[in-house]
Amino acid sequence: MYTFKGGTHIKEYKLTKDYEIERIEAPDRVAISMSQHIGAPCTPVVAAGDEVLVGQVIGTVPDGALGCPVHSSVSGKVVGTEIISGSTGNRETCVVIENDKEDRPSPEIKPPEGRITEMTKDEIVSVIRAAGITGMGGASFPSYAKINSAAGHVDRVIVNCAECEPFITADHRLLLEHPERVVGGLKTIMISLGVKEAFIAVEDNKKDAARRLAAVVGQSDMISVCLMKTKYPQGDERQLIYALTGTELPMGMLPMDAGCVIFNAGTCAAIYEAFSTGMPLVKRIVTVTGDCVKKPGNYIIPIGMKVSDVVNKCGGLVREPIKAVFGGPMMGRAEFSLDTPVKKGTSAILLLSELFDTKPTPDPECIRCGKCVANCPMRLMPAYIAQYSRLGDMASAEKFGAMSCVECGTCSYNCPAGIEIVQYIRSAKNNIKAEQRRIAALRQKES
Amino acid sequence: MDEKEKTEVVEVDAAPEKTEKKITFPALLSVSPSPHLRKRETTRSVMAEVIIALTPALLWGIFVFGLRALLITLVSVASCVLFEAGAEKLLKRRITVSDLSAALTGMLIAMNMPVSVPIWMPVVASFFAIVVVKQVFGGIGKNIVNPAMAARVFVMMSWAGNMTKFTAPGARFPFFGTVSGGVDAVTAATPLASLKRGAFPKETLLDLLTGNTGGCIGEVSAALLILGGIYLLVRKVISWQIPVAFIGTVAIITFVFPKGGEPLDFMLYEILSGGLMLGAIFMATDYATSPISPTGRIVYGVGCGLITVLIRYFGGYPEGVSFSILIMNLLVWYLDNAFKPRRFGSELAKKREREKKEGKA
Repeated sequence: MYTFKGGTHIKEYKLTKDYEIERIEAPDRVAISMSQHIGAPCTPVVAAGDEVLVGQVIGTVPDGALGCPVHSSVSGKVVGTEIISGSTGNRETCVVIENDKEDRPSPEIKPPEGRITEMTKDEIVSVIRAAGITGMGGASFPSYAKINSAAGHVDRVIVNCAECEPFITADHRLLLEHPERVVGGLKTIMISLGVKEAFIAVEDNKKDAARRLAAVVGQSDMISVCLMKTKYPQGDERQLIYALTGTELPMGMLPMDAGCVIFNAGTCAAIYEAFSTGMPLVKRIVTVTGDCVKKPGNYIIPIGMKVSDVVNKCGGLVREPIKAVFGGPMMGRAEFSLDTPVKKGTSAILLLSELFDTKPTPDPECIRCGKCVANCPMRLMPAYIAQYSRLGDMASAEKFGAMSCVECGTCSYNCPAGIEIVQYIRSAKNNIKAEQRRIAALRQKES
Repeated sequence: MDEKEKTEVVEVDAAPEKTEKKITFPALLSVSPSPHLRKRETTRSVMAEVIIALTPALLWGIFVFGLRALLITLVSVASCVLFEAGAEKLLKRRITVSDLSAALTGMLIAMNMPVSVPIWMPVVASFFAIVVVKQVFGGIGKNIVNPAMAARVFVMMSWAGNMTKFTAPGARFPFFGTVSGGVDAVTAATPLASLKRGAFPKETLLDLLTGNTGGCIGEVSAALLILGGIYLLVRKVISWQIPVAFIGTVAIITFVFPKGGEPLDFMLYEILSGGLMLGAIFMATDYATSPISPTGRIVYGVGCGLITVLIRYFGGYPEGVSFSILIMNLLVWYLDNAFKPRRFGSELAKKREREKKEGKA
C-alpha cells in the first residue's frame, strides 16, 4: 500500500459510488466557455445564425499558443456569444447554441487512420490537440502540451485515479464501467512518449475498480495498478509521486523533474475516445451530488450545460442549497451564478445546504493546537504563515514557506478554532508574488 | 460555537425523498473560499476532551482526600469562569467562557493544590491565572506561560506553608476544616521530600501508582493520569512528543545518576512521585504555551525534564515540575523557529539551487 506523510482522512461522503453512469437529457441551450484550459482562451469561429453539429470546432487558438480547440457539444443553431462572470472575478466568453435535439454528428468525425503503434509522437499529439483534450481533474492543462514537454524527459506515466476529494465518484464509476478506455488511453500516451513503465494509482476505497483495472491490464510488466491509502490529499501530484517513487518534489519543480508525467483517469478515457471514434471532448462524466439534489448520480453531461439545467434534469431540489461548488469540497470553487456552465475540468457539481455551512467564526483565535502542522502534507507551519499573513508581515510568511503551500485546505478543515488558514496563506502568496513582480519590473527598468 | 456542532460530521442521506412542495434555489448563492467542508471540532470540544481525561484522577483525589477536594475544585472552576467573563467584559472582548478553557484552568489549579488549603486560596490563584497571566496578555492562545502553572507557583511562593502541608491519604479532610483550625489533619511527608535526601519513602511503588500517597489533589494517582494521557493520545488531542520526551528525560537522568538505592527503583520512584505525570501529560502539553513544531516539542519536553531533575536534585524545592514548565514556556517561540519541520521536497530544492549557483559560477 502506497501513501505519504501527513494529510488527513476526511469523511468520504461518496454517496453516488453505486450509481451507474447515466446519460442526461441535453438542455435546450448550452453556453460553451471559450476559456476551457490554462493558456490562451479560444476565439469563436462561429457567428450567430450558424448551424453547428456535434463535435464541430467552434473556437480555436492561434497556432503556437498554448491551448486547444473547443467543439460544440450539441447540434443546432448558434444564438450568439455571452459573457459570464465567475466567483473569482473571471469573465469568460461563451458561445451559446440552441439545441435542436437531433444530435447530428459532424461529418469530420472519424477515427484517425492507421494503427496507433505505427504513429509518430507528433501524429498522436496532433490528434489529441485537435480533439481539444485538457486535463480533466480540475487544473485543465492542455494534454497535448503536457505530452510535448514531457517527451524525452520522463520514464514513467502515472494515471491519477486517487479521487481523494470527498463526494466525487466520477472517476470511480469510469474505472468500474469502462476500465478498458482508461487503460487504452494510457497505452496511447505511453506509445507517444516511448515510456515503458506506468502506474495506475487508485485509492483503496475503490478496491473494486482496482480489480477491474488489474483484469484489463492482465499480465503486464509495464503497467501496474497501485493501491493507495485513502487519505486526503492523496491525489495531489507531489504526494502521488512521493508515494509511488519516493521522490519529494518541491514547489516550483514539475513532475517531469522527477521523471514522471501524470494524467487523470478521465483524460485517458477522452484520449481513447479520440482515437477509437474520433469524437473530440464534448461531454464528460460529472458527479452531481450534495444533500440538496433529488437524484444525485454520475451523469454524462455535455460541456456547456448550465447548473440550473443540470439540477432540473436531476429531479430538482429537496433542500435549499446555499452553495454550488464546482469540483470537490476541499479545493472546488463555489460559484454564485446558476448560469455557470459545465466545463472540461468540472468533475463534480455539489449542491450543499446550510448543514455544510462554513461560515467563519467571528474573530477566531488560534489556540496553537498544532493540528495544521501535524497534518500539512508539505510539512509547513500553517498557523504561523496565517498569523503573519493576518498581520501583513509577508516577509515572515515567506520565511515560513508560504510559497510551498499547495492550498489543499487540510489545515482549514482540521482547525478547531475555525480559522480560514489556507485563505490567509493564499492571500500571503498573492502578496508575495505581487512583490516579486514589482521587484522584477524595477530590475528591468534599471538594466 | 453552536451546540449542534458537537458531532464530528454531518450525516446526510443519498437521496432524501420526503418533500412535497417545490424547493427552489435561493436568490443568492454563497461564495466562500475552499475548503467547503469542515471537521466539526471546536475549541470547546477539544477542551471538553481534556476535562474528561482529567476527571478520573480528580475523582480519585476526592475519594482519598474527602469532599473538601470537590469544594476546592468547584470554587476554583467557578472563580476562573467568573474572572474570565469579568475581565473580558472589562476589556471589551468577546466573552469566551463557553469554550471551556477557563473551566479547565480552574480544574487544573485545584488539582495542583493540597486539600488543606484555605478556601480563598483557589480564588486568588484563579485571579492570577485568568486575569494576570491570560487576559492581560491577550486572552486564549496569546498567553506566554501556562496560567494554571503560573498561578500554582504564585501561591506557592506567597503562602508556602499552606501549599506544602499535605494530608495523608485516606484521612479524609473535613469539609470546612482548615490546617490551623485545630482539626489536626494527619500531615504526611511527600515521597519527593525523602527522595531529595536520597532515601526511599515509606510508600511502595504500587502506592504511588494507584495514588495511595500524600500530595496535591490531582497529582497522586499516576495510573489514572496515564490513563487520561492515553485517552488524549487516542483522541488525538495531544501528541506523544512532549509527555514522552519529558518523562523519558527524567527517567534516563535519574536512572543514570540515582541519588541512592537501586537505579531502577530510584528512577521509578522519581517518575511516579510529585507532579510529574500531571505536569508532563496535562500542563506541559497546554496548546498555547507549547511549541507546534514536532521537533520543537521534543526539545521542549527534554528541556522540561532536564530542569525538573536539576531542581529536584540541587534546587531549594523538592519539586521542579512547575518551574521547569514555566521556564520552557518562555522559549516556545524560539523552539518553533529553530525547529521548523523539514519542508517537503527541501533536499531537491537545495540541490537545484546548488546546481544553479555552480552553473552560474
